[in-house]
Amino acid sequence: MTYHLEFSALLPYWQDLAWGLLFTIVLTVVSTAVGIAVGTLGASARTFGPAWLSGIVRVYVELIRNTPFIVQLFFIFFGLPALGLRLTETTAAFVAMVVNLGAYSTEIIRAGIEATPKGHIEAGVSLAMSRLEVLRYIVLRQAFAKIYPALSSQIVIVMLGSAVVSQISAPDLTYAANFIQSRNFRAFEVYFVVALIYLVLAIVLRYVLRVIGDRFVKVS
Amino acid sequence: MSDFSLWIIVKNLIWATQWTVILSLIAFVGGGIVGMILLFLRTSQVKWLEVPTKLYIEFFQGTPLLMQLFLFFFGVALFGIEVSPWMAAGLALTLWTSAFLTEIWRGCVEAVPKGQWEASASVAMSYIEQMRYVILPQAMRIAIAPTVGFSVQVIKGTALASIIGFVELTKAGTMLNNATFRPFLVYSLVALIYFCLCFPLSWFAKRLEGRLNVAR
Amino acid sequence: MFTRVTMSGFAALLLASIVGFATGPARADALADIMKAKVIKIAVPQDFAPFGSAGADLKPQGLDVDMANYIAAKLGVKAEIIAVTSANRIPYLQTHKADLVISSLGKNAEREKVIDFSAAYAPFFSGVFGAKSVAVSKMTDLAGKTIGATRGAIEEQEITKDAPKDTTIKRFEDNNATIAAFVSGQVDLIATGNVVAAAITEKNPSRPAVTKFIMKDSPCYVGLNKNEPALLAKVNEIIATAKKDGTLNKFSEKWLKNPLPASF
Repeated sequence: MTYHLEFSALLPYWQDLAWGLLFTIVLTVVSTAVGIAVGTLGASARTFGPAWLSGIVRVYVELIRNTPFIVQLFFIFFGLPALGLRLTETTAAFVAMVVNLGAYSTEIIRAGIEATPKGHIEAGVSLAMSRLEVLRYIVLRQAFAKIYPALSSQIVIVMLGSAVVSQISAPDLTYAANFIQSRNFRAFEVYFVVALIYLVLAIVLRYVLRVIGDRFVKVS
Repeated sequence: MSDFSLWIIVKNLIWATQWTVILSLIAFVGGGIVGMILLFLRTSQVKWLEVPTKLYIEFFQGTPLLMQLFLFFFGVALFGIEVSPWMAAGLALTLWTSAFLTEIWRGCVEAVPKGQWEASASVAMSYIEQMRYVILPQAMRIAIAPTVGFSVQVIKGTALASIIGFVELTKAGTMLNNATFRPFLVYSLVALIYFCLCFPLSWFAKRLEGRLNVAR
Repeated sequence: MFTRVTMSGFAALLLASIVGFATGPARADALADIMKAKVIKIAVPQDFAPFGSAGADLKPQGLDVDMANYIAAKLGVKAEIIAVTSANRIPYLQTHKADLVISSLGKNAEREKVIDFSAAYAPFFSGVFGAKSVAVSKMTDLAGKTIGATRGAIEEQEITKDAPKDTTIKRFEDNNATIAAFVSGQVDLIATGNVVAAAITEKNPSRPAVTKFIMKDSPCYVGLNKNEPALLAKVNEIIATAKKDGTLNKFSEKWLKNPLPASF
């Protein structure tokens, strides 16, 4: 059998792709911002918090890092309603992304915090800085500079992983691809083009993260 | 519902776990072999070998694994190549794994001091000999921890094979959920089994890393 | 980081390497291939009770599975049963992963462009079903409501076409997910088949899927690839025999709990 490629079969659906792309971008940006905030809190609690809090954060991090994202997503979307917590597919997608990135960034930022020389903290304390000020101006600032590359690649990984939210009907780029495929039965063309869109997205994201890093996170 | 006791659910999930394990092993071993070949190409200093390797890595690291699976399963088969879910999943996961392992290992190779390359070159070793006898033995020591760590990503990656109809742990979970309508229970068990597979590896990777830091 | 030039170059390279296979060997007559291999690959649903769903051993069972085994037996070959979803069953056929699709497949113009259909073998009424509390009795009542459906299923295509503009349609990848979304309360309405809704109600009486309205009488057909006249004729012959000797009626009574309708 001979299969003729026909990329023009995608043209009538360009709007679906555009909306899907927008959803994926918004999903990534928002969950990155919130996820890193969660990770910062988590890492601080893990290093400086009381033992019970540190323990809880540790369990959270290990649970998330050692189970597949798709299972977490199904658990949140299909499982939690049994406990009376019902989230729409879009909310569930955002929550799952934040929970996931939160766990990874907790671990990454914690490594950065632990690498902060003890002397710097003591110096801060001797300058009569409060504990919070030491954390904010000395520990976290240095930690971020150190782990910024690791955090950046994790963000790209999470963006690519977000393709899975299509499985709970969240209207992302992959959802659009699946929808088009079910209408024109042009599987190769659709998935190939969408894979390239993701590739461009990953390259752009990496670039943007580097620019942000150069400007705001001084790498010493 | 009565024909699905808790025991039957657990039994079916454990049965399906073997496919997750087998698929993970295929991807990891296959990815390791392909990754090793790519590592040689990538560090060969020969431009026309390096550039395609770089593009290959860029493609597999820069697109979602799910898209790769779709492409292999539905896309490639349209051209008359028979692709079973087994082959598509095995192949896509192998290539995906190889791209990441190559990059991890390249980092380790580059961590070997430059002097080692120069010294081995001065005794007229070929590139392959340099890698085989001088560079790799040293790089391997630092590579073990991140490699074990990445195996966890491979196991989790196999969960996506469920979407193209490969019956492994996640797929069995959705099928059982459909038969029992107990999503909370089923997905908790699925998550627990993944945790039992992955946590020991994560823990081991971390321990190796710690030991290495002490040794240095 | 690579430039746009190398990227499009890469794309072309990848394409070329794949298109290279496009001129592969032409396939012989499918029926002859099947008879020679003594195996017929048949795609059945894995998540669409009572047509096909996982039994306690995770193997599919249901009307479509019985039908598949029946056709294989009549051909005198072994049946290789492949469990598929609504979304991927046509790609399975197109990519020759299956010789036949017996997966409660309805006929419409869109599908007829890519595959062929046999004579009908089972009745099927697609409709909208949902929780008791939701007041919906016709298509226009769906305005402003949210409804779940399986992507690529005929019901999903119907509501996409006919439902009011402000209806929110949530498309799931497979029936597992659509049904789970209804049972877990993520959606209050679903578009599916009448007997599927009955199966949900039977298995989960605490949240029955009540009939809201029936959209379409869309009986099930066996799907097969285009340009396979020998295989099509053979399948039609088997279905005609089964209809005459009461086998189809037996299947209907066993799985759908009703005899074949007189109009069938």
